[in-house]
Amino acid sequence: MTLLNELEAKNLLASYSIHVNPGLEAAGPMEAAEAATRLGFPVAIKVLSGRIAHKSDLGMVALNIPSPDCARGACDRIITAAKAIDPDATIVVETMATPGQEVIAGAKRDPQFGPIILFGMGGVFVEIFKDVSIRVAPIDHAMALEMIGEIKGYRMLQDFRGKKGVDTNALADVLVNISRLMMARDDIMELDANPVMAYEKGAVTVDARIMLKD
Amino acid sequence: MSSHPLDPLLKPHSIAVIGASKDPSKWGYKIYHNILNNHYDGDVYPVNPTAQEILGRQCYPDLASIPGEVDLAVVVIPATAAMAIVDDCGNKGVKALCVITAGFSEVGKEGEALEQELKKKTAAYGIRMLGPNTMGFVNRSIGLNCSITPRMPHKGEISFISQSGALSLALTDWAIGSHMGMNCIISTGNKADVSEADLLEYFEKDECTWTIAMYIEGLKDGRRFIESASKVKKPMLTIKAGASEAGARAAASHTGSLAGSDAVYDSAFRQSGVIRVEGVEEMFDSAMAMSTQPRPKGNRVAILSNGGGMAIMASDACERRGMQVPQLNKYTRAGIARLLPAFASVKNPVDTVAKSDYHIYKEAMRALIDDQDIDCVMAIYAHAGMTDAMEPARAVVDVLKEKYPKPVVACWMGGEDIDQVAKMFRENRVPFYSTPERAAEALRSLIEYDGFLVKKRVKR
Repeated sequence: MTLLNELEAKNLLASYSIHVNPGLEAAGPMEAAEAATRLGFPVAIKVLSGRIAHKSDLGMVALNIPSPDCARGACDRIITAAKAIDPDATIVVETMATPGQEVIAGAKRDPQFGPIILFGMGGVFVEIFKDVSIRVAPIDHAMALEMIGEIKGYRMLQDFRGKKGVDTNALADVLVNISRLMMARDDIMELDANPVMAYEKGAVTVDARIMLKD
Repeated sequence: MSSHPLDPLLKPHSIAVIGASKDPSKWGYKIYHNILNNHYDGDVYPVNPTAQEILGRQCYPDLASIPGEVDLAVVVIPATAAMAIVDDCGNKGVKALCVITAGFSEVGKEGEALEQELKKKTAAYGIRMLGPNTMGFVNRSIGLNCSITPRMPHKGEISFISQSGALSLALTDWAIGSHMGMNCIISTGNKADVSEADLLEYFEKDECTWTIAMYIEGLKDGRRFIESASKVKKPMLTIKAGASEAGARAAASHTGSLAGSDAVYDSAFRQSGVIRVEGVEEMFDSAMAMSTQPRPKGNRVAILSNGGGMAIMASDACERRGMQVPQLNKYTRAGIARLLPAFASVKNPVDTVAKSDYHIYKEAMRALIDDQDIDCVMAIYAHAGMTDAMEPARAVVDVLKEKYPKPVVACWMGGEDIDQVAKMFRENRVPFYSTPERAAEALRSLIEYDGFLVKKRVKR
């Protein structure tokens, strides 16, 4: 399987009307500082490579970078580490998304059922509790809302202890758009929009991973 | 029922058994014998070039020499010879094949190629095929036992589709032993042609089938299964074996590792309205309730019991499964209070404090069924040996003979003394269980089924 780099993956999602946070590719520290200035601080700096899938596990993600100096430093550190694995690695500078409720939206091509869509709570909930719901694609908006309502952590997406609930319609849109993408492109084997930041209004995909059939 | 493409297979007017044998140890004898010795009234032709007659019937050297038409050919000859038979079948105008013969895709690459060829050949002649590698089928509605198990179960409304031949046979025996009625039992074999999806479509239209039960190890075409199952309004239950995912691969994505095969099957079943159960007992517990009881309008359960312990276990079991055991309304309470000693408190569950007279059970059941705020009723009797277990059971049966719009399940707990009651309940189409948990599980599946029908926009 071929792994799209983060920027390619997010561009593909964006072309299916899925909101992603803006990002610019940079080859080295100087370019990174420029890109960061253009996007506005704080920024996130991540490795950009089709060969490095678990970038945060390798320490190749730096968040909340406040200044051009810091951007240069972070870029230097990440790119040096990354080149050891992938000589073609560059970096991507992205605006820091406002913290929100993290969820995962994903898809894969199942050998028996074809494209399937997945939704779950993000972060620790998906890793430890595997709190997810699944549907065989295609799905419509109503089915997507049903998926969202089905997970155990659903209450955390609603008004809870004075905290406002998140925009489940926006999340449903993300799922429906992923479903459209999976139905249209049968070369996509696996897809993660993870995390998707869900807000009171709207939702933004902050990181994405897409695997294509060779 | 108007004609269906699978009618010649499952409701044939005439059958040829290719490879019928005189030797009682051979499958070719057993199947032929079973077709003849039950209640099938179509024409049956043994085909075997080395015999003159088998079991008193003239034997034919080949299909071409059979005088009448042949709807179904049952094939019990070696794989390589089976291939050559397809042309004979095509020339004879045979409409369906039941290929008992093994040695196809289940034995590896060579067998797989042979199976593909068989599939292609039958399709070219427009012949539908069950198997290969099937243990046959039973269709109780026409008295046809086209399988290797000698006896047929009692007539009933449950049809069972099984990917395991041995399980389908064991189940036949089990159904007989437990007085459970069945309509069709089908061993699908390798599913080269006829699959679960085809059979679901068939049973949805089959008047003799009310509930469809399945044993699935793996589907060949998951999307087609979903498409067919989504159209079915009859209750569908399935066991999906092979749930554990030992050695899950190191997935490149979260979704890849989270949406493992079993999780996807689980979702697909729910998406198409198929109730997944863990094992055979649970499946038939639920099937019994579904093929006899009306749809519940909600999840509020009333419990009637002659003992406190059973009643408490029953309400725990219901609540654990997401049902409510609510307060009874004042009319119901007043109606039941009249029947019981003054010290008995009328709550839900209703505890008759050891009374199990016919009259008390009948009137209490009536009051509970009439309660507007109750959707399902569970009648419980704990046998202590000093009362007649049949008496309250008759009361339940008699109440249900009056017109009633709510599902009722019975739970009679005891040993040998309960056997007669069990038989009486089954004959009278009252779903009967030996523990409150099993009764509660059956109610839960009725409620889940109702939820599926609501989603499929089927009015109550």
